Amino acid sequence: MYTRINQRNMTRAQKRRFVDALLTLKRSGRYDEFVRMHGAYYVTDAEERPRAAHMAPSFFPWHRRYLLEFERALQSVDPGVSVPYWDWTVDDSPSSSLWADDFMGGTGRGLDRQVTTGPFAYRNGGWRIDSRITDGKFLTRDLGRPRNPVTLPTKEDVAEALAEPVYDTAPWDSRVTRGFRNAVEGWNPGGEARWRNHNRVHRWVGGLMMGSTSPNDPVFWLHHAFVDLLWVRWQAAHPEAGYLPAQPLPATDPGHGKIFSLDDPMPPWDVRPSELLDHTRHYRYA
Amino acid sequence: MIGSRGTRGTAGALAGAAARWPTARPLARRIVLRALLTAGVIAGTAGALAPVLARRGADGVRGPASERSPRSLEDFAETYRGRHIQGSATVMVPAGAPAGTDAEARARAGVPSVEVRIDGRPLHVMRRADGSYLSMVNHYESFPTLRGVARAAVDELAGAQLSLTPTHGH
Repeated sequence: MYTRINQRNMTRAQKRRFVDALLTLKRSGRYDEFVRMHGAYYVTDAEERPRAAHMAPSFFPWHRRYLLEFERALQSVDPGVSVPYWDWTVDDSPSSSLWADDFMGGTGRGLDRQVTTGPFAYRNGGWRIDSRITDGKFLTRDLGRPRNPVTLPTKEDVAEALAEPVYDTAPWDSRVTRGFRNAVEGWNPGGEARWRNHNRVHRWVGGLMMGSTSPNDPVFWLHHAFVDLLWVRWQAAHPEAGYLPAQPLPATDPGHGKIFSLDDPMPPWDVRPSELLDHTRHYRYA
Repeated sequence: MIGSRGTRGTAGALAGAAARWPTARPLARRIVLRALLTAGVIAGTAGALAPVLARRGADGVRGPASERSPRSLEDFAETYRGRHIQGSATVMVPAGAPAGTDAEARARAGVPSVEVRIDGRPLHVMRRADGSYLSMVNHYESFPTLRGVARAAVDELAGAQLSLTPTHGH
Protein backbone atom coordinates (compact mmCIF):
# COMPACT_ATOMS: atom_id res chain seq x y z
CA MET A 1 0.00 0.00 0.00
CA TYR A 2 1.34 3.39 -1.00
CA THR A 3 -0.09 6.86 -1.49
CA ARG A 4 -0.74 8.93 -4.59
CA ILE A 5 -0.59 12.60 -3.75
CA ASN A 6 -1.76 15.81 -5.35
CA GLN A 7 1.10 17.12 -7.46
CA ARG A 8 0.61 20.62 -6.04
CA ASN A 9 1.63 19.30 -2.59
CA MET A 10 4.83 17.60 -3.73
CA THR A 11 8.09 18.74 -2.24
CA ARG A 12 11.00 19.68 -4.46
CA ALA A 13 12.68 16.40 -3.54
CA GLN A 14 9.56 14.36 -4.41
CA LYS A 15 9.33 16.03 -7.78
CA ARG A 16 12.99 15.34 -8.47
CA ARG A 17 12.65 11.65 -7.64
CA PHE A 18 9.54 11.27 -9.82
CA VAL A 19 11.19 13.05 -12.74
CA ASP A 20 14.38 11.01 -12.33
CA ALA A 21 12.40 7.77 -12.38
CA LEU A 22 10.63 8.88 -15.58
CA LEU A 23 13.94 9.73 -17.24
CA THR A 24 15.42 6.38 -16.21
CA LEU A 25 12.45 4.46 -17.65
CA LYS A 26 12.77 6.50 -20.83
CA ARG A 27 16.47 5.69 -21.18
CA SER A 28 15.78 1.98 -20.75
CA GLY A 29 13.18 1.92 -23.52
CA ARG A 30 10.44 0.71 -21.19
CA TYR A 31 8.66 4.06 -21.24
CA ASP A 32 8.10 3.86 -24.97
CA GLU A 33 6.60 0.38 -24.60
CA PHE A 34 3.83 1.97 -22.56
CA VAL A 35 3.35 4.63 -25.22
CA ARG A 36 2.96 2.02 -27.95
CA MET A 37 0.60 -0.05 -25.84
CA HIS A 38 -1.79 2.87 -25.44
CA GLY A 39 -1.88 3.43 -29.18
CA ALA A 40 -2.39 -0.26 -29.83
CA TYR A 41 -5.51 -0.39 -27.69
CA TYR A 42 -7.14 2.66 -29.16
CA VAL A 43 -10.06 0.93 -30.87
CA THR A 44 -12.99 3.11 -31.86
CA ASP A 45 -16.64 2.23 -31.51
CA ALA A 46 -17.14 2.00 -35.26
CA GLU A 47 -14.80 -0.99 -35.42
CA GLU A 48 -16.01 -4.57 -35.41
CA ARG A 49 -13.65 -5.81 -32.70
CA PRO A 50 -13.32 -5.71 -28.93
CA ARG A 51 -12.43 -2.36 -27.40
CA ALA A 52 -11.24 -2.23 -23.83
CA ALA A 53 -9.57 1.14 -23.39
CA HIS A 54 -11.72 3.90 -24.90
CA MET A 55 -15.34 4.57 -25.89
CA ALA A 56 -16.35 1.68 -23.62
CA PRO A 57 -17.34 0.91 -20.02
CA SER A 58 -13.91 -0.55 -19.29
CA PHE A 59 -12.29 2.87 -19.85
CA PHE A 60 -11.84 3.17 -16.06
CA PRO A 61 -10.62 -0.32 -15.14
CA TRP A 62 -8.39 -0.61 -18.23
CA HIS A 63 -6.64 2.65 -17.43
CA ARG A 64 -6.43 1.77 -13.73
CA ARG A 65 -4.48 -1.36 -14.60
CA TYR A 66 -2.43 0.52 -17.20
CA LEU A 67 -1.40 3.09 -14.57
CA LEU A 68 -0.66 0.33 -12.05
CA GLU A 69 1.67 -1.34 -14.53
CA PHE A 70 3.39 1.93 -15.23
CA GLU A 71 3.68 2.68 -11.53
CA ARG A 72 5.26 -0.71 -10.93
CA ALA A 73 7.81 0.07 -13.62
CA LEU A 74 8.56 3.40 -11.95
CA GLN A 75 8.88 1.69 -8.57
CA SER A 76 11.34 -0.81 -9.98
CA VAL A 77 13.54 2.22 -10.56
CA ASP A 78 12.74 3.95 -7.26
CA PRO A 79 10.45 2.15 -4.79
CA GLY A 80 9.66 5.46 -3.11
CA VAL A 81 7.76 7.05 -5.99
CA SER A 82 4.13 6.84 -7.08
CA VAL A 83 2.11 8.61 -9.77
CA PRO A 84 0.87 11.97 -8.46
CA TYR A 85 -2.44 13.37 -9.62
CA TRP A 86 -3.25 16.65 -11.29
CA ASP A 87 -6.56 18.16 -10.15
CA TRP A 88 -7.15 20.29 -13.24
CA THR A 89 -10.21 21.92 -11.67
CA VAL A 90 -7.81 23.69 -9.29
CA ASP A 91 -4.49 23.97 -11.13
CA ASP A 92 -6.08 25.31 -14.27
CA SER A 93 -3.45 27.65 -15.71
CA PRO A 94 -0.18 27.42 -17.66
CA SER A 95 1.36 29.35 -14.75
CA SER A 96 0.63 26.51 -12.30
CA SER A 97 3.69 25.03 -10.59
CA LEU A 98 2.86 21.82 -12.47
CA TRP A 99 4.43 23.42 -15.56
CA ALA A 100 7.52 24.81 -13.84
CA ASP A 101 11.06 24.00 -14.92
CA ASP A 102 11.56 21.57 -12.03
CA PHE A 103 8.58 19.40 -12.96
CA MET A 104 6.69 19.03 -16.26
CA GLY A 105 8.21 22.06 -18.00
CA GLY A 106 6.09 24.59 -19.84
CA THR A 107 4.05 25.00 -22.98
CA GLY A 108 5.43 24.73 -26.51
CA ARG A 109 6.99 27.66 -28.35
CA GLY A 110 5.00 29.46 -31.01
CA LEU A 111 6.56 28.20 -34.20
CA ASP A 112 6.48 24.43 -33.82
CA ARG A 113 5.01 23.97 -30.30
CA GLN A 114 8.26 22.45 -29.13
CA VAL A 115 8.56 22.27 -25.34
CA THR A 116 11.83 24.04 -24.57
CA THR A 117 11.83 24.16 -20.76
CA GLY A 118 12.09 21.53 -18.03
CA PRO A 119 13.34 17.95 -17.90
CA PHE A 120 11.32 16.82 -20.93
CA ALA A 121 12.60 19.43 -23.35
CA TYR A 122 14.44 17.77 -26.22
CA ARG A 123 17.28 20.27 -25.91
CA ASN A 124 17.95 19.05 -22.37
CA GLY A 125 18.84 15.62 -23.69
CA GLY A 126 16.63 13.24 -21.74
CA TRP A 127 13.38 13.10 -23.69
CA ARG A 128 13.56 12.13 -27.34
CA ILE A 129 10.22 11.22 -28.90
CA ASP A 130 10.49 8.00 -30.91
CA SER A 131 7.01 6.51 -30.83
CA ARG A 132 5.01 9.16 -32.53
CA ILE A 133 3.12 10.11 -35.60
CA THR A 134 5.29 12.81 -37.11
CA ASP A 135 8.96 13.07 -37.97
CA GLY A 136 9.57 15.40 -35.01
CA LYS A 137 11.74 14.22 -32.13
CA PHE A 138 10.57 16.69 -29.50
CA LEU A 139 7.67 16.92 -27.07
CA THR A 140 4.96 19.37 -28.14
CA ARG A 141 2.31 21.24 -26.15
CA ASP A 142 -0.14 24.06 -26.73
CA LEU A 143 -1.46 24.77 -23.23
CA GLY A 144 -4.90 26.37 -23.42
CA ARG A 145 -4.59 26.75 -27.22
CA PRO A 146 -4.10 30.55 -27.16
CA ARG A 147 -4.96 30.91 -30.86
CA ASN A 148 -8.48 29.70 -30.11
CA PRO A 149 -8.66 29.46 -26.33
CA VAL A 150 -10.12 26.47 -24.54
CA THR A 151 -10.50 26.18 -20.76
CA LEU A 152 -10.00 23.19 -18.49
CA PRO A 153 -13.05 21.43 -17.03
CA THR A 154 -14.47 23.09 -13.94
CA LYS A 155 -15.51 21.82 -10.52
CA GLU A 156 -19.09 22.06 -11.78
CA ASP A 157 -18.28 19.84 -14.75
CA VAL A 158 -16.83 17.24 -12.42
CA ALA A 159 -19.71 17.54 -9.93
CA GLU A 160 -22.16 16.93 -12.74
CA ALA A 161 -20.36 13.75 -13.75
CA LEU A 162 -20.12 12.54 -10.14
CA ALA A 163 -23.88 13.04 -9.74
CA GLU A 164 -24.63 10.52 -12.47
CA PRO A 165 -26.47 7.69 -10.70
CA VAL A 166 -25.59 4.97 -13.22
CA TYR A 167 -22.07 3.82 -14.20
CA ASP A 168 -22.70 3.37 -17.92
CA THR A 169 -25.53 2.47 -20.24
CA ALA A 170 -26.36 1.13 -23.70
CA PRO A 171 -25.08 1.39 -26.36
CA TRP A 172 -21.90 1.38 -24.22
CA ASP A 173 -19.93 3.58 -26.60
CA SER A 174 -19.11 7.22 -27.39
CA ARG A 175 -22.77 8.01 -28.11
CA VAL A 176 -23.94 7.41 -24.56
CA THR A 177 -25.64 10.49 -23.10
CA ARG A 178 -26.15 9.23 -19.57
CA GLY A 179 -23.94 7.59 -16.99
CA PHE A 180 -20.71 8.37 -15.20
CA ARG A 181 -18.29 6.74 -17.64
CA ASN A 182 -18.86 8.90 -20.70
CA ALA A 183 -19.55 11.98 -18.59
CA VAL A 184 -15.91 11.71 -17.55
CA GLU A 185 -14.41 10.18 -20.70
CA GLY A 186 -16.06 13.09 -22.45
CA TRP A 187 -17.38 12.13 -25.89
CA ASN A 188 -19.98 14.60 -26.99
CA PRO A 189 -23.03 13.19 -28.72
CA GLY A 190 -23.39 14.61 -32.20
CA GLY A 191 -19.75 14.39 -33.11
CA GLU A 192 -18.87 18.07 -33.36
CA ALA A 193 -15.58 19.09 -31.84
CA ARG A 194 -16.65 19.79 -28.27
CA TRP A 195 -15.06 18.08 -25.34
CA ARG A 196 -15.81 17.27 -21.73
CA ASN A 197 -13.65 16.36 -18.73
CA HIS A 198 -11.07 13.70 -19.75
CA ASN A 199 -11.12 14.52 -23.46
CA ARG A 200 -11.14 18.24 -22.73
CA VAL A 201 -7.93 17.99 -20.71
CA HIS A 202 -6.19 16.25 -23.60
CA ARG A 203 -7.43 19.13 -25.77
CA TRP A 204 -6.23 21.80 -23.31
CA VAL A 205 -2.69 20.40 -23.12
CA GLY A 206 -2.58 19.95 -26.89
CA GLY A 207 0.41 18.82 -28.93
CA LEU A 208 1.25 15.16 -28.41
CA MET A 209 -1.41 14.87 -25.69
CA MET A 210 -4.04 15.19 -28.44
CA GLY A 211 -2.80 12.23 -30.44
CA SER A 212 -2.68 8.46 -30.38
CA THR A 213 0.66 8.55 -28.56
CA SER A 214 -0.51 10.86 -25.78
CA PRO A 215 1.53 9.11 -23.03
CA ASN A 216 4.61 10.60 -24.73
CA ASP A 217 3.79 13.60 -22.53
CA PRO A 218 4.46 12.55 -18.92
CA VAL A 219 1.58 14.75 -17.75
CA PHE A 220 -0.61 11.96 -19.20
CA TRP A 221 -0.01 9.91 -16.03
CA LEU A 222 -0.92 12.78 -13.69
CA HIS A 223 -4.08 13.45 -15.70
CA HIS A 224 -5.15 9.82 -15.62
CA ALA A 225 -4.39 9.48 -11.91
CA PHE A 226 -6.97 12.22 -11.33
CA VAL A 227 -9.43 10.50 -13.69
CA ASP A 228 -8.88 7.36 -11.61
CA LEU A 229 -9.53 9.36 -8.43
CA LEU A 230 -12.82 10.57 -9.91
CA TRP A 231 -13.86 6.92 -10.25
CA VAL A 232 -13.03 6.41 -6.56
CA ARG A 233 -15.14 9.45 -5.66
CA TRP A 234 -18.04 8.28 -7.79
CA GLN A 235 -17.96 4.85 -6.13
CA ALA A 236 -18.04 6.50 -2.70
CA ALA A 237 -20.96 8.70 -3.74
CA HIS A 238 -22.96 5.80 -5.20
CA PRO A 239 -22.17 2.72 -3.10
CA GLU A 240 -25.16 0.83 -4.50
CA ALA A 241 -24.26 1.40 -8.13
CA GLY A 242 -21.69 -0.93 -9.59
CA TYR A 243 -19.79 -1.46 -12.80
CA LEU A 244 -21.97 -2.10 -15.84
CA PRO A 245 -22.64 -4.18 -17.79
CA ALA A 246 -22.60 -6.75 -15.01
CA GLN A 247 -23.26 -9.61 -17.44
CA PRO A 248 -21.92 -10.25 -20.95
CA LEU A 249 -24.13 -8.71 -23.59
CA PRO A 250 -26.36 -11.21 -25.43
CA ALA A 251 -25.52 -12.20 -28.99
CA THR A 252 -28.37 -10.04 -30.23
CA ASP A 253 -26.81 -6.88 -28.74
CA PRO A 254 -24.73 -4.76 -31.15
CA GLY A 255 -22.10 -4.52 -28.43
CA HIS A 256 -21.72 -8.28 -28.18
CA GLY A 257 -18.13 -9.32 -28.67
CA LYS A 258 -16.87 -5.76 -28.25
CA ILE A 259 -17.74 -4.73 -24.69
CA PHE A 260 -16.03 -6.05 -21.56
CA SER A 261 -18.57 -6.76 -18.86
CA LEU A 262 -17.77 -7.16 -15.16
CA ASP A 263 -16.06 -10.55 -15.39
CA ASP A 264 -14.63 -10.50 -18.91
CA PRO A 265 -10.82 -10.66 -18.88
CA MET A 266 -9.30 -7.54 -20.44
CA PRO A 267 -6.19 -7.67 -22.57
CA PRO A 268 -3.29 -7.55 -22.41
CA TRP A 269 -3.30 -8.57 -18.74
CA ASP A 270 -6.25 -10.98 -18.72
CA VAL A 271 -7.68 -9.07 -15.74
CA ARG A 272 -11.39 -8.60 -15.14
CA PRO A 273 -12.98 -5.25 -14.34
CA SER A 274 -14.28 -6.92 -11.16
CA GLU A 275 -10.69 -7.36 -9.99
CA LEU A 276 -9.99 -3.66 -10.34
CA LEU A 277 -12.94 -2.13 -8.52
CA ASP A 278 -11.09 -1.77 -5.23
CA HIS A 279 -8.03 0.44 -5.57
CA THR A 280 -7.19 0.21 -1.84
CA ARG A 281 -5.55 -3.16 -2.47
CA HIS A 282 -2.75 -1.16 -4.10
CA TYR A 283 -2.79 2.52 -3.12
CA ARG A 284 -4.78 5.30 -1.59
CA TYR A 285 -5.27 8.93 -2.54
CA ALA A 286 -4.26 11.81 -0.32
CA MET B 1 -21.51 -15.87 -16.08
CA ILE B 2 -23.94 -15.87 -18.92
CA GLY B 3 -22.72 -16.33 -22.46
CA SER B 4 -19.17 -16.78 -21.29
CA ARG B 5 -18.13 -18.80 -24.29
CA GLY B 6 -18.74 -16.09 -26.84
CA THR B 7 -17.28 -13.33 -24.76
CA ARG B 8 -14.19 -15.28 -23.89
CA GLY B 9 -13.78 -15.84 -27.57
CA THR B 10 -13.81 -12.09 -27.87
CA ALA B 11 -11.11 -11.67 -25.29
CA GLY B 12 -9.08 -14.37 -26.97
CA ALA B 13 -9.36 -12.64 -30.29
CA LEU B 14 -8.15 -9.40 -28.80
CA ALA B 15 -5.33 -11.15 -26.99
CA GLY B 16 -4.23 -12.39 -30.40
CA ALA B 17 -4.37 -8.87 -31.71
CA ALA B 18 -2.39 -7.72 -28.69
CA ALA B 19 0.48 -9.96 -29.66
CA ARG B 20 0.83 -8.00 -32.86
CA TRP B 21 0.59 -4.55 -31.41
CA PRO B 22 4.12 -3.33 -32.01
CA THR B 23 3.62 -3.76 -35.75
CA ALA B 24 1.70 -1.08 -37.58
CA ARG B 25 -0.43 -2.43 -40.37
CA PRO B 26 0.29 -0.75 -43.71
CA LEU B 27 -2.35 1.77 -44.56
CA ALA B 28 -3.13 0.44 -48.01
CA ARG B 29 -3.75 -3.05 -46.75
CA ARG B 30 -5.98 -1.72 -44.00
CA ILE B 31 -8.04 0.16 -46.55
CA VAL B 32 -8.42 -2.91 -48.72
CA LEU B 33 -9.39 -5.06 -45.76
CA ARG B 34 -11.94 -2.56 -44.61
CA ALA B 35 -13.36 -2.30 -48.11
CA LEU B 36 -13.74 -6.07 -48.29
CA LEU B 37 -15.38 -6.12 -44.90
CA THR B 38 -17.71 -3.37 -45.98
CA ALA B 39 -18.60 -5.17 -49.16
CA GLY B 40 -19.32 -8.28 -47.16
CA VAL B 41 -21.66 -6.36 -44.94
CA ILE B 42 -23.50 -4.86 -47.87
CA ALA B 43 -23.65 -7.75 -50.24
CA GLY B 44 -23.17 -10.73 -47.97
CA THR B 45 -20.42 -11.86 -50.32
CA ALA B 46 -16.92 -10.85 -51.22
CA GLY B 47 -17.60 -11.57 -54.87
CA ALA B 48 -16.98 -9.31 -57.83
CA LEU B 49 -16.53 -5.77 -56.62
CA ALA B 50 -16.46 -2.39 -58.20
CA PRO B 51 -15.55 0.81 -56.45
CA VAL B 52 -18.05 3.61 -56.41
CA LEU B 53 -16.05 6.75 -55.96
CA ALA B 54 -17.73 9.97 -55.10
CA ARG B 55 -17.44 12.56 -57.82
CA ARG B 56 -16.12 15.92 -56.93
CA GLY B 57 -18.60 18.73 -57.39
CA ALA B 58 -17.86 22.39 -57.93
CA ASP B 59 -17.30 22.87 -54.21
CA GLY B 60 -15.32 19.68 -53.80
CA VAL B 61 -18.22 17.90 -52.12
CA ARG B 62 -20.48 15.34 -53.71
CA GLY B 63 -23.56 16.31 -55.62
CA PRO B 64 -27.23 16.52 -54.68
CA ALA B 65 -27.98 12.80 -54.35
CA SER B 66 -25.62 12.27 -51.46
CA GLU B 67 -26.34 15.63 -49.91
CA ARG B 68 -29.64 14.15 -48.93
CA SER B 69 -27.81 11.48 -46.93
CA PRO B 70 -26.67 12.03 -43.36
CA ARG B 71 -23.01 12.01 -44.44
CA SER B 72 -22.01 12.95 -47.95
CA LEU B 73 -19.14 10.96 -49.37
CA GLU B 74 -16.23 13.26 -49.85
CA ASP B 75 -13.46 13.84 -52.36
CA PHE B 76 -11.53 17.02 -51.80
CA ALA B 77 -8.13 18.61 -52.34
CA GLU B 78 -7.10 22.03 -51.13
CA THR B 79 -4.35 24.10 -49.60
CA TYR B 80 -5.00 24.86 -45.95
CA ARG B 81 -2.59 27.04 -43.97
CA GLY B 82 0.11 26.28 -46.48
CA ARG B 83 -0.36 22.52 -46.40
CA HIS B 84 -1.78 20.42 -49.22
CA ILE B 85 -4.63 18.31 -47.88
CA GLN B 86 -6.64 15.79 -49.80
CA GLY B 87 -9.13 13.12 -48.89
CA SER B 88 -11.69 10.73 -50.24
CA ALA B 89 -14.32 8.34 -49.01
CA THR B 90 -15.02 5.25 -51.10
CA VAL B 91 -17.72 2.64 -50.75
CA MET B 92 -17.50 -0.78 -52.41
CA VAL B 93 -20.65 -2.33 -53.89
CA PRO B 94 -21.05 -5.58 -55.84
CA ALA B 95 -20.45 -5.36 -59.56
CA GLY B 96 -23.70 -5.68 -61.42
CA ALA B 97 -25.73 -4.18 -58.62
CA PRO B 98 -28.72 -2.33 -59.97
CA ALA B 99 -27.97 1.27 -60.82
CA GLY B 100 -29.80 4.19 -59.33
CA THR B 101 -31.16 4.95 -55.95
CA ASP B 102 -31.22 1.41 -54.63
CA ALA B 103 -27.47 0.91 -55.13
CA GLU B 104 -26.75 4.34 -53.76
CA ALA B 105 -28.81 3.66 -50.70
CA ARG B 106 -26.94 0.46 -50.12
CA ALA B 107 -23.62 2.20 -50.62
CA ARG B 108 -24.57 4.84 -48.09
CA ALA B 109 -25.50 2.18 -45.61
CA GLY B 110 -21.95 0.84 -45.68
CA VAL B 111 -18.85 2.06 -43.93
CA PRO B 112 -16.76 4.08 -46.35
CA SER B 113 -13.07 3.41 -46.73
CA VAL B 114 -11.32 6.70 -46.25
CA GLU B 115 -7.97 8.07 -47.28
CA VAL B 116 -6.57 11.40 -46.16
CA ARG B 117 -3.15 12.82 -47.01
CA ILE B 118 -1.29 15.88 -45.80
CA ASP B 119 1.48 17.00 -48.13
CA GLY B 120 1.17 13.56 -49.71
CA ARG B 121 1.69 11.59 -46.51
CA PRO B 122 -1.11 9.36 -45.21
CA LEU B 123 -3.05 10.44 -42.15
CA HIS B 124 -4.58 7.47 -40.35
CA VAL B 125 -8.28 8.23 -39.94
CA MET B 126 -10.79 6.33 -37.85
CA ARG B 127 -14.53 6.63 -37.35
CA ARG B 128 -16.85 6.88 -34.41
CA ALA B 129 -20.12 5.04 -34.14
CA ASP B 130 -21.95 8.31 -34.84
CA GLY B 131 -20.23 8.50 -38.24
CA SER B 132 -17.77 11.26 -37.38
CA TYR B 133 -14.03 10.99 -37.98
CA LEU B 134 -10.95 11.22 -35.80
CA SER B 135 -7.28 10.82 -36.68
CA MET B 136 -4.03 9.76 -35.08
CA VAL B 137 -3.26 13.44 -34.59
CA ASN B 138 -6.63 14.27 -32.99
CA HIS B 139 -7.58 11.25 -30.92
CA TYR B 140 -9.80 12.99 -28.39
CA GLU B 141 -12.17 14.90 -30.65
CA SER B 142 -14.04 14.05 -33.82
CA PHE B 143 -15.28 15.84 -36.92
CA PRO B 144 -18.26 15.34 -39.23
CA THR B 145 -16.16 15.49 -42.42
CA LEU B 146 -12.81 14.29 -43.70
CA ARG B 147 -11.99 17.86 -44.62
CA GLY B 148 -12.61 18.83 -40.99
CA VAL B 149 -10.35 16.10 -39.64
CA ALA B 150 -7.63 17.00 -42.17
CA ARG B 151 -7.72 20.69 -41.30
CA ALA B 152 -7.67 19.91 -37.57
CA ALA B 153 -4.62 17.73 -38.11
CA VAL B 154 -2.87 20.58 -39.93
CA ASP B 155 -3.69 22.87 -37.00
CA GLU B 156 -2.29 20.37 -34.53
CA LEU B 157 0.81 19.47 -36.53
CA ALA B 158 2.09 23.06 -36.45
CA GLY B 159 4.29 22.50 -39.48
CA ALA B 160 5.46 18.98 -38.65
CA GLN B 161 5.37 16.29 -41.34
CA LEU B 162 3.49 13.06 -40.75
CA SER B 163 5.75 10.10 -40.24
CA LEU B 164 6.01 7.59 -43.06
CA THR B 165 6.37 4.87 -40.42
CA PRO B 166 3.67 5.74 -37.91
CA THR B 167 3.33 3.85 -34.66
CA HIS B 168 -0.15 2.59 -34.15
CA GLY B 169 -1.56 -0.75 -33.28
CA HIS B 170 -4.37 -0.80 -35.76
